[in-house]
Amino acid sequence: MAIKNYDELNSLELDTLREIGSVGTGNAATALSQMLGRQVRITLPEVRIMGYNEAIEWIGGPEEITAGVLVKLSGQVNGIMLSVQPLEFVNIVLESMLSQRVTDYSQLTELENSALVEVGNIMISTFINALSGLAGMDVKLTVPAFTVDMQGAILAVPMAEYGGQSDYIMTIGGNFVSENKQVPCRLLMSPDLRSLNALLRKLGVRDE
Amino acid sequence: MSEKLIIGIADMKLAKGEGMLVTYALGSCIGICLHDPALKLGALVHIMLPLNMETGRKHPMKYADTGIRETLKQLEAMGGSRTRIIAKIAGGAMMFKDGGSGSLGNIGQRNIESVHLNLRKEGIRLMKEDVGGAVARTLLFDVNSGLGCVRCYGRQELII
Repeated sequence: MAIKNYDELNSLELDTLREIGSVGTGNAATALSQMLGRQVRITLPEVRIMGYNEAIEWIGGPEEITAGVLVKLSGQVNGIMLSVQPLEFVNIVLESMLSQRVTDYSQLTELENSALVEVGNIMISTFINALSGLAGMDVKLTVPAFTVDMQGAILAVPMAEYGGQSDYIMTIGGNFVSENKQVPCRLLMSPDLRSLNALLRKLGVRDE
Repeated sequence: MSEKLIIGIADMKLAKGEGMLVTYALGSCIGICLHDPALKLGALVHIMLPLNMETGRKHPMKYADTGIRETLKQLEAMGGSRTRIIAKIAGGAMMFKDGGSGSLGNIGQRNIESVHLNLRKEGIRLMKEDVGGAVARTLLFDVNSGLGCVRCYGRQELII
């Protein structure tokens, strides 16, 4: 039986998705750690199914300004992946890659923007590589898009994209910890419903 | 400052006489203010998508067409008159300009077109708008004065 809404997932399926999230964010953490030249671990990965307004509260309020890197997934899994990068994370990246700091997003130069896009893109790609390997599914990625704006509006992009199918948004993802400090950077994957069903079938937790 | 009412995504609130209606971080979504100046009666809807094609139609406020229709119905129930009601809108941006846009489609633009069409269909005059572009907007609407204020990151506040 295929599910018609995200809130129909049972606990076995949620666990399987959490496992995907764990392997995906784990690989992304390794990639991040290599790029930054410091140790990076992951916190417990989360699978969340939230209403729109709940999701915006969860990410930390609508008006907070953050940087976001977005990649669209196609092929056997359709969805959107976001790397949400608060200022603290931006500074960790800039310090270790370019030995610079900014106090506001408006100070970011072209070079610094592309460093952030690249970090986001590599984390997203390693996450998807892990997923694609685990499930044996072919996933294509678009070129990353970048913006700096209110995080509520950034999170609304996957919501609007799948808003016709569901009143919920599903995110698989996690946070990172480096040198015993929480690194506030979220890596989020929102699959569409059809891909979610296909993914669960491929992983063997759902009947044909 | 009068009472502040916060409108979430796919949500609508009304106020009469006094009241500040606020909706945060409109990206591709659109905030539609409907106002009857004679009664100082106003509503703010935060829609996300252009057309309601759901079978159950549980959330009319999520869509431009059903959102506008349903809000007008509620305004009329409170004495508002279609001949007096005017509209002001903000939102409909494209949050990710390059790369993502081609494959994502421009939901913002489709929302703008649908809101225009549906306001015209209902015979509501669109007074002012601040739409499109690539910026997120927070919209504040004062029911008493009928003035809207649009707040963006890295841009001056705009009165509509």
